[in-house]
Amino acid sequence: MANIRNFKTPVALVIMTLLLLLSAHVLALDYRNRLNNWSVNLNSQSEPIAGGRISYDLSDGSFSHGVGFSHPPPIQPPEPFSALIKGMDGEMDRTVSVSQRIVIGARNGEPATSSLFDTPDTSFVVKLLVSLFALMFSLDAAPREKESGTLRAMLAQPIRRRELILSKSLGTSISLLAPFAIAYFVEIIYLHLAHGLLNDRQDLVRAMLIFGFVSLYGIVFAHIGLFISTITTRTRIAITTALLTWATIVLILPNASVLMAKLLTPTPSYNQLNARLREARMRVLKEDAEENSAARTARPSIQSLPRIYEIERQETDNYIASKKDQNRRARLFAALSPAGALTFGLSDLAGTGMDAYNSYLDLLRSSRDVMLDALKRSLNLSRQEGDKLMQEAIETAVHRQRRAEPLGASLRSSIIPITSLLAWAVIFGLAACWRFKRYDVR
Amino acid sequence: MFRTILRRELQETGASSTLLSALVALTILVPLSAYIQARDYRRVVEDYAIRQSIHQTENSSQSVVLIRPIPPLAPFFNGAYDSLPDEFRLRNDTATTNTPSRDLTPLDWLFPKIDLSFVIGVLMTLLTILLAHDTIAGDREQGALKLILAGPIERRTVLAAKVTGVILTATIILIYIVFLYTIVVMIFSEKTFDLSGGNLSALAVFTLVAVIVLVVTAALGVAVSASVKRSSVSLFACASIWIVIIVIWPTFGPYIASSSKPAPPPEAFQRDIASKEKELIQEELAEHRKTAADLKARQVEVEVAWRQYLELRRRWIERRNEEIGRIVSERKERIQDQQAFARRISLFSPYTAFKEVLGSLCGTGLESYDEFLVEVERCRLQEFIPKGLDLRSRQKPWMLSASPDDRLQLLSLQTPSPTLSKRLAAAAWPLSILIAEMIILLMLGVLSFERYDVR
Repeated sequence: MANIRNFKTPVALVIMTLLLLLSAHVLALDYRNRLNNWSVNLNSQSEPIAGGRISYDLSDGSFSHGVGFSHPPPIQPPEPFSALIKGMDGEMDRTVSVSQRIVIGARNGEPATSSLFDTPDTSFVVKLLVSLFALMFSLDAAPREKESGTLRAMLAQPIRRRELILSKSLGTSISLLAPFAIAYFVEIIYLHLAHGLLNDRQDLVRAMLIFGFVSLYGIVFAHIGLFISTITTRTRIAITTALLTWATIVLILPNASVLMAKLLTPTPSYNQLNARLREARMRVLKEDAEENSAARTARPSIQSLPRIYEIERQETDNYIASKKDQNRRARLFAALSPAGALTFGLSDLAGTGMDAYNSYLDLLRSSRDVMLDALKRSLNLSRQEGDKLMQEAIETAVHRQRRAEPLGASLRSSIIPITSLLAWAVIFGLAACWRFKRYDVR
Repeated sequence: MFRTILRRELQETGASSTLLSALVALTILVPLSAYIQARDYRRVVEDYAIRQSIHQTENSSQSVVLIRPIPPLAPFFNGAYDSLPDEFRLRNDTATTNTPSRDLTPLDWLFPKIDLSFVIGVLMTLLTILLAHDTIAGDREQGALKLILAGPIERRTVLAAKVTGVILTATIILIYIVFLYTIVVMIFSEKTFDLSGGNLSALAVFTLVAVIVLVVTAALGVAVSASVKRSSVSLFACASIWIVIIVIWPTFGPYIASSSKPAPPPEAFQRDIASKEKELIQEELAEHRKTAADLKARQVEVEVAWRQYLELRRRWIERRNEEIGRIVSERKERIQDQQAFARRISLFSPYTAFKEVLGSLCGTGLESYDEFLVEVERCRLQEFIPKGLDLRSRQKPWMLSASPDDRLQLLSLQTPSPTLSKRLAAAAWPLSILIAEMIILLMLGVLSFERYDVR
């Protein structure tokens, strides 16, 4: 209870409220900008293609002038929850044109200099501040009370050490989570009232789940702090150790685990994929030329087109699968450390995480399959019928949009991070208990 | 006396567990990130060759692709290189350049790639501030400060010795890290990375700038330590300041800038351009239709008609450049305005200033990107369009038998390799802010230590 009386809890409340509000404000504006971007893009999808062909017919020959200008490829709408936790949602702002290939444009739409640093969303604020405050709150459990002599007085009473540490853990968690709860709900209310986001009941459930997840994260760090306080004897050393531990867990481990995942799962780059596709195309062309030497053209014959399509499909699928594989491994590794588990878990719960991204990739693939199917069928049709078929396929492919991930799926995908956080909380709680039993109170 | 205090300071920090654990963590992390960076760099170099060979067979008078030259020091500081387009397709029937596809990088959204700038700017500054926070307050608590100052020695000398002790330790670790990183990059990039001449001196300047950043942090730690009495308070204050200026502020800066100086979304810009393009296309087609009918009526020879057609075409390309160029440069102004604002508000963080300097040093910053864009525009106007038209004028498309050779070879863009002094001049602003911060903080430390109550 001492935490509430001294300046710590109010300070935590003020800092967290300010930062969460700032983060909500800038990210809500960011979301609005992205939404605007998407709707402009959507409108321009229905605009007609400009162009035409004029032929210059003269008595001794003719040539023609042709030009065409079409609208930019479509993008996907941003997820409203990205105002709270942006996750991987920014990756879906890229334009995607789907034909027999999937061509994903460059990143755009984000603030120009932001690519150098993290995204300042709620997940970022929580990752840094909740862990730091949890450590600072729980550190004085043993050394400071020992230094001020209250520890001895407390243990002189008929109370078990186990109970004491349990009540310490509870007290810290409450004095940490109460200000966080206030700050977080102020943020939610701000997003709801000022920006009209999070209106759904399901959104509120998600927001509650996010709060629960963050609480778990806070408890993990409270336990780590308790553990550190039981292995050190002086406050200053305890604080230094805690800061180093914090830097390791929050700044180094998640990044290192993602690096490890990249190390173990090398993926081809898009350019390499492109080169492979091109190589396959050339190979088919060459075989074509060998089969009938009369038709030496730069275009593949109608018979070999399905084969080229098939190879392209296969190669693209392999590329996407290897990316997915890398992502899966990164999530698994990152879940081993609390901060990595938090980043992935929060984005999963918000529906802007890995699974949402994977289903986005699946959507692109299935659109591509629709296009491919139409392309293959149109080969056997007359030109007009084929064009009509292709037009229909483009219509279906363009208007396909990813649906928000259902809540159940989000919950399922966050099971691993939740388990990891629970395990960490239990492990450090037990370790603190065990160390405190033999703590020298003199 | 200076030496004695310095030696004592060095012994104390050298034996601390902070230093030891930091060294262990850095020795694991640095090679790991250097390896990943080296591998990525090798791939970028390989890809560059692949892309070039693909484009060389595809470039024609109608469209060419320009690839951004690889910044030589990219493995040391990725900067904005990964997230910005590095390829542009130029076409002669539109005045805009569009970007071909890029790699999928979902993980970078959650965890930005770490490179040497992260290791120095975040981890080394944390270590330095942890070493510096108890130089004064800690000695006061132990009672050592009273004893030192009892001797015939000026306070300034004591402070100088203490600051030097911290900076020396930090610099030694820094050199160790840079060395380790460079070695790993050299080995695993398999000779794609060339460390000679300009790059080596750029790397030396890199290290020097890193030292300045560390001096700024050390001076900050000492200044805080000399203005409070208890070392735990000093630690608390130092840690809070560090978190605000190194971790929080740089992250919020760009988003605050974009929300207070919003630029219209990129798609709106695309749409503006598209409607203008369409308008021009319709007009141009109408003129071609008229000319074609006219030429047919006059029964001119096809070669004469072709020449007239090319002349018409050239006129329209020029007009398009002019009109679209206006929209593009308006947009560019807005974006640059936003960027300048973002810089203004976030440069006071040493970490941002450090990254800005590195951006110009390594050629991976936003300014280098702007240079690339200017180069693309220059290449489009001065090489692609005249050469394309020239090639076109030699073709005879009405002769069906010989398919015209339409291959256009442009020189690939060269790496802009400004001299070191030019690169530093580009980074003058952030660099001078860093130096000013260093001087102010050192002065602050001296002033508060002169009045420090040692009891």
